[in-house]
Amino acid sequence: MSTDDESFHPLGDEWEDELETMLDDTEYDSDLGMEMAQDAMRVTKGELSEAEFHEKHHEAVMEEFGEDERPTKEAYEAAQEEAKGTASRMLDAFDGDGGETRRETMKKMGVGAAAVGMGAFGSTRDGPMESLSAEGGHSETTEHSDTQWGMTIDLERCDGCLTCMSACTQENDLDAGVNWMYVMAWEDELHEGHEEGTDTGVYSSDFNMGSDFNMLVRPCQHCTDAPCEKVCPTTARHTRDKDGLVLTDYDVCIGCRYCQVACPYGVNYFQWDEPHTDYEDIDGYEDPENPDQITHAEYEYGERWVDSRAPRGVMSKCTMCPSMQDGKQGEEKIGTSACESACPPNAIQFGNVKDEKSDPYQHREHPSKSRAVIRLSGEHTDSRGGIPSPETIDGTLSSDDDMESALEKFENLDQETLSIMKAVQLVSDRTEPGDEENNSILRKEQKVVAAVDAFEQYVDLETDEAITQLQLGDGSERQARFRIQQYTGKPNSFKLLEDVGTNPNVTYLGEQPGPEAEQVEGPTKYEDIEVLADKRQDILDEETVGGIDGGSL
Amino acid sequence: MSTKEPSEADILRPINTLTKKYFLVYGIAAIGLLAFIVAWGYQLQKGLVVTGLGDWGSGGGSTWGLYIGAFIWWVGVAHGGIILSAAVRLLGMDRYMPIARLAEMTTIGGLSAAGFYIIVHMGRPDRMVTSIIGHYHITVNNSPLVWDVTVITAYFVLSATYLGLTLRYDVNRLRDDLPDMFEPIYKIMTIGYTKREDEVIQRMVWWLAAAVIIMAPLLLHGGVIPWLFALLPAMPAWTGGIQGPMFLSIALMSAISGVIIISYGFRRAYDWDHIITDDIFRGLLLWLGFFTLLFLWFQLQAVFNGIFLGPLDKAHAAEAKIAHPLYRIAIGLIFASLVYIFVQGIRPELFSKKRAIVVSCAVLMGTLTEKVLFVVEGFMDPHFNIYANTPGTYFPSAIEWLSLVGTTALVVLLFLNLSKLVPVVELHAIEHLRGDHEHSEEATEPEVEA
Repeated sequence: MSTDDESFHPLGDEWEDELETMLDDTEYDSDLGMEMAQDAMRVTKGELSEAEFHEKHHEAVMEEFGEDERPTKEAYEAAQEEAKGTASRMLDAFDGDGGETRRETMKKMGVGAAAVGMGAFGSTRDGPMESLSAEGGHSETTEHSDTQWGMTIDLERCDGCLTCMSACTQENDLDAGVNWMYVMAWEDELHEGHEEGTDTGVYSSDFNMGSDFNMLVRPCQHCTDAPCEKVCPTTARHTRDKDGLVLTDYDVCIGCRYCQVACPYGVNYFQWDEPHTDYEDIDGYEDPENPDQITHAEYEYGERWVDSRAPRGVMSKCTMCPSMQDGKQGEEKIGTSACESACPPNAIQFGNVKDEKSDPYQHREHPSKSRAVIRLSGEHTDSRGGIPSPETIDGTLSSDDDMESALEKFENLDQETLSIMKAVQLVSDRTEPGDEENNSILRKEQKVVAAVDAFEQYVDLETDEAITQLQLGDGSERQARFRIQQYTGKPNSFKLLEDVGTNPNVTYLGEQPGPEAEQVEGPTKYEDIEVLADKRQDILDEETVGGIDGGSL
Repeated sequence: MSTKEPSEADILRPINTLTKKYFLVYGIAAIGLLAFIVAWGYQLQKGLVVTGLGDWGSGGGSTWGLYIGAFIWWVGVAHGGIILSAAVRLLGMDRYMPIARLAEMTTIGGLSAAGFYIIVHMGRPDRMVTSIIGHYHITVNNSPLVWDVTVITAYFVLSATYLGLTLRYDVNRLRDDLPDMFEPIYKIMTIGYTKREDEVIQRMVWWLAAAVIIMAPLLLHGGVIPWLFALLPAMPAWTGGIQGPMFLSIALMSAISGVIIISYGFRRAYDWDHIITDDIFRGLLLWLGFFTLLFLWFQLQAVFNGIFLGPLDKAHAAEAKIAHPLYRIAIGLIFASLVYIFVQGIRPELFSKKRAIVVSCAVLMGTLTEKVLFVVEGFMDPHFNIYANTPGTYFPSAIEWLSLVGTTALVVLLFLNLSKLVPVVELHAIEHLRGDHEHSEEATEPEVEA
């Protein structure tokens, strides 16, 4: 990528010009927009503080829009107060459930400023931002789809049960050792592993955070800049335009295996011999006799054979279940994957990573809250069961109840659960989950919020006494976040091998393995599960002609 | 130098004689090739599972192995061969003229073997044409493997043109002494020939040679072929700019060694002491020494960059490399060859053609071993080395080993067939040796003092 010196934007001159044209089309001052966008970039580089940025353009923005609700307002005000010596920003350490630092917010804003034209102009509802993005939406968006399937995987919730691996193997009729999905335990110097003879601790804590296994869940990363696709001499390995899935056309692949060579993650598995499941034995969804139904995925120009186990002589890897995404396995499976559906602790969140209402997006941006919501909704192995519906609450509670008596009326509700529910309600921005597929986290959040709202019809949870009882500090949003983090932890997030430049679409929550990390035996052994095998070479060696046992170059 | 006068009859001898030994060699080579073709048939029937290959990563195998290692080795032999021949023409190194055509034929043979390996290596060779050619306009923009196929094809065309053009002169002049049964072939080869074209062809050949010399380091074995590996950040054993020069040095070492062996074979079989003289062997040996020195220098650079101080992935790869017994044997063979070449340069009485052959074989073994190891090393110490099954295991299967026999037999057969069809030593070379060649006054490389 070439960046001209004249251009402030990382995407360069041309892009910047395009944005300026977009700005010119609005009723607002383009020069101000561009200048602010430029300064926003400086903020991301640390050349300018947020407060300075806000102050610099404050007057111009007030003049142009009559209000100044840019996200930097808080920093500006804090700086103002700090200058007066009245406030400190000590509590900022707990700020943001999303785990996003101010710098990161600004970084995104800076990019956004240029991307949509003027993120810097603020986030006020019905403000200039809205009209601009609406206009921009018409002219752009044709080149890149709004859908990018991907995952957010909570490694601290993974208990290493390997259910996802066997679900994938069964869904796709894979040979033993063809581990499209691979789950491993690991350790390195900073992350000690499990010691023999001690309790595994897997179920001893709420979120497996007490487990001494460090896990890594490795599906294909469905990279935006997939090296496997780049090196493919045939275009068999390709990205499906409509949803960003990286797939292999089994009818085109010549089996040169260069994709396996180029993939830094080692997610590819070649079909060295005849697959153990005959093509005819792959079951279609509605018509079991027609395997094409689920082995062929939809494209603008027809269908291609990209799903299920590969035939002999071609490459295969995790597909993120295109037959499900195409609705060929029923409406309810759109936006899900076999591994996600199978995962007992709900550690895998699959969905459209570009959609801010989707599970992977929500889980990535608000990991602690999402963990709490998932757990409150009673899908965790160690769950205390679901939360009561507003109707149940209405039918159970009366205005005479106080907190204690009210809690006694619900079997599944105790003070701690209520405390977390109230905390979720406090931090929730009440985003509607919408009709999109698999926005389950927001839906569950909505239920939690509705339950607390209903509860509060009978018992006031906002009194000082109640807030103290629920351990919510001063009852502020910040304290509520802190409470949730105490409960679910505040995981790191990372993408695997980002330094290689693949731009992966799987985000991990939890500990990142260091460069010297080594796989160790996990809580469940591969050989204990019938359909699975770990070292495929042992199976392949059986067919090698004149091979030497155990010998290696 | 021999006092015997080189003649047309000398270079026609392979075409017009038929010996028992020829049949014996032909038979052995044919059996070798046939054996591999049968084995390959079995592989086609059963799938690539009959090889020792596997999936790197959780699978604990090696994605590529002997097939790809031997492929780049043969491409190296081929590229080195044509570079040798081009250098002879371009730099006016007239004393090597008698072996120039052998070098060109080595190129054709090497490329044939390499092309064969590409097909053997594929999971679905039947789709070669539809899948690769059909999407060529897209894939040529990004896939190093497509660049590879492109330059190898370009090279084949270039080499074949080169050989074809220079043969017109010979075939036309020697036509009366060539066997009648190949008449149609000769007719096609010399179609539209007039004596006036000689000069034009000379110029064309010169430009082709220039193209070869310029393209070799930039695009061919010093560029595109190593890029197949060197551009991948996932495999620290392969990455780095040193692979360009490294591959080129290996190509030249292998080609010179190959040409020494082939030249020796022809000299012995057809009493060409006065054509392929001792002097040529001495000269080739010195060039071999020069490229061996370059190779060892590049190896030192590559390994030292890894073992001194990280980054970790590079360090692991480099440590595993130098610890490998086969690597030590390969480098040891090559180093010993260099020592011999150096010593015989100082004390000429230590030279003998047999020793030159031993050295050539040692170098060929060394480069082939290094090449196969190089390919496998990538998968043994990848950047993402978390898997318990990585490094995995790989040992070539009997079929893979047999492929070496098969492709060598293929090249031998090519020489045996070509030597019955056209002179493997240029007429120009004979004319030059006799001193009656028009270009004999051009600057020549000073001859090595024997």
